Amino acid sequence: MRWYILKALLTKEFSRHIANRGGIALAFLLLAMAVLLSVFTPGETTAAGTSMVGGVHHCFIEFDRPTPLVRHLQANVPPELKAQVRFRELRKPDDVDGVIAAETGTGSIQIRHVNEPGKRPAVQVSVWHPDSEPGALAPYEQWVWKESRRAFAIEAAKKMTDAKMPDTPAFDAENNWLVLESHKRFQEQVEAGRKADVGAPLVPDLTIDRRGLGGKVLDFRAAIATGMVVFALYFACVYLLPTLNCEERERGVLLAQALTPASPTELLAAKFVFYPVFGIGLAATLAAVYKPDVLSSLFFWLALFAVGGGFLGIGMTIAAWAKTQRAAFFGGMCYLLSVSMLLLICSLNGIPFLSYLAVEFHGPRILHAALSGTVQTAHWRHLAAALGLAVAWLFAAGWVFRRRGWQ
Amino acid sequence: MPPDAMIRIAGLRVLYGAFAAVDGLDLDIRRGELFGLLGPNGAGKSTTIRVLIGQRKPSAGGVTIGGRDVVRDWANIKPTFGYVPDRENHFEEFTGRRNLEFFGQLYNVPRLRAAEVLKMVELDEAADLPVRGYSLGMRKKLLLARAILHEPQILYLDEPTANLDIHSAEVVHRILRERVKAGATIILTTHDMDEVEKICDRVGIMARGKLVALDSPLALKQQHTERKVDVIRDDGERFVYDMDTPAGRNDLAALVAAGRALRIRTREFDFHATFLKLTGLAFD
Repeated sequence: MRWYILKALLTKEFSRHIANRGGIALAFLLLAMAVLLSVFTPGETTAAGTSMVGGVHHCFIEFDRPTPLVRHLQANVPPELKAQVRFRELRKPDDVDGVIAAETGTGSIQIRHVNEPGKRPAVQVSVWHPDSEPGALAPYEQWVWKESRRAFAIEAAKKMTDAKMPDTPAFDAENNWLVLESHKRFQEQVEAGRKADVGAPLVPDLTIDRRGLGGKVLDFRAAIATGMVVFALYFACVYLLPTLNCEERERGVLLAQALTPASPTELLAAKFVFYPVFGIGLAATLAAVYKPDVLSSLFFWLALFAVGGGFLGIGMTIAAWAKTQRAAFFGGMCYLLSVSMLLLICSLNGIPFLSYLAVEFHGPRILHAALSGTVQTAHWRHLAAALGLAVAWLFAAGWVFRRRGWQ
Repeated sequence: MPPDAMIRIAGLRVLYGAFAAVDGLDLDIRRGELFGLLGPNGAGKSTTIRVLIGQRKPSAGGVTIGGRDVVRDWANIKPTFGYVPDRENHFEEFTGRRNLEFFGQLYNVPRLRAAEVLKMVELDEAADLPVRGYSLGMRKKLLLARAILHEPQILYLDEPTANLDIHSAEVVHRILRERVKAGATIILTTHDMDEVEKICDRVGIMARGKLVALDSPLALKQQHTERKVDVIRDDGERFVYDMDTPAGRNDLAALVAAGRALRIRTREFDFHATFLKLTGLAFD
């Protein structure tokens, strides 16, 4: 392996990309997207603004007039819902049954105040949820019920300064207070009617224990960043490598290089080095723009090398198989579509194990875990699988290359 | 093997399936010789060149270059030759200079050498234009520039003057003669009979994978010139007299003596006719 030859070959690959500016433009576009993703971060939470709460990305609180209740709600939106909740005045407050065409992924809670002469004042709350998803607005409803209860208590306390107010419910983070309050009231009603000869309370106390299973909610911003990182690796290794090599072969330039003192090993090594380095470099830059800390994570680098290695093997296999640039392009596209379909079918039909054979199954999982900082034991297993698949693909590429060669 | 043989092709046979593209070719090319390889399409010229440049393995027989086997010792042989393919193969997006500089780096020759060869092929003014803007002739000349970049001992040229104007063809001929003078061995394939006659030391004519003629253009000329004389008599009749027969010679002498020959013309060597006759493609 002679350095001056490797240097010439690597410089040539670089110069070709500089001369063909499409690839550079795409790389800059990806970088711009990563910068935008990083700069436009509403609030401190990574999920804010792009995440969905209960399948809804925006919930509109629509009101007929700015009553103390509405003002209280406006002042007490919890931080985790701040990016999703929008207040707006109802244009036609009396039109309760009119058809509302809402954008996909949005819902609304309408608050109307009814003050008819001779009747008790009332607040009418209408919950407009996405069709067939009645629970989609549950997190917003729980907030509205809790804060309404607090708002009414505060208003009542203002008007009855001397009277004893009911106890404040035990508002809890898990929003179990509604059920507990209801149960408590039922207990009290039963207790009031209990005869003295019945010794023990008839309705037992109720406690609710709510726990997470350990799984995390998908971080959409990290998911987008993961998509860009995976795309950068795919673009360099499965698209650029085969198409540009097959173009060289088709034009006969590869033959011209093969007839020089450059050995097949050197020609191969230059390509073997350039495209993964370009892909991994671009991917790491995108990841660093989104989350600079990730560069200090060993898991992230291992994940990059595993996915990059797998894609390199796939790209080299296509490059050794396809004779023309067009065939290489279609090879890459066919591969992408087949794997996507395989993963989709396996996912929809619960087919086990088959999807484990795809780098694309493990790759996004490990990269997302690295980017969102949620690496768990299972992700190390995915990493091991991705590394295994990378080795298998590289062997496959070597085997095809030995059979077909560059020419 | 003759002591001055640079390239030796012995019993070369190349099969594409059942079809023999080259069928038992024996040929020695001398050191410092400019050898023309002729033949109709499909005669086996290009396949022979492909074997010489190591891109096709012989089905039987073998080729040695400077005593080294072209298959076993290819890695050592390939820096010693330059190759001009029939189809141009440049990096379109690079300039002519950048193309040569890249290949110069692979051959480890100084960067200035690119400028030298560009001047030699008269592309120095277009050196900094992208190759995609070059004409066919310019591309062909750039191929030659690339082939001589490292001053190889051997040059293989596949129709090097195709698509070239007369001046550019002369430039190529001059460069080839200079390379031969410097001791290089050159094999060129061409369809241009005048070119062969003008610059080649020896000519091999191939047909159906076999060598059907091998000699210098002059010797071929002597062997195949028809010793016949066309005569138009005073009565307007046209006669052909064969100078190789006593009857022919006597009849012509009698006609001239009688003053009945209005016009006499000897037949010249016709390379085209000879080529067609030797390759079996002549019309009867």
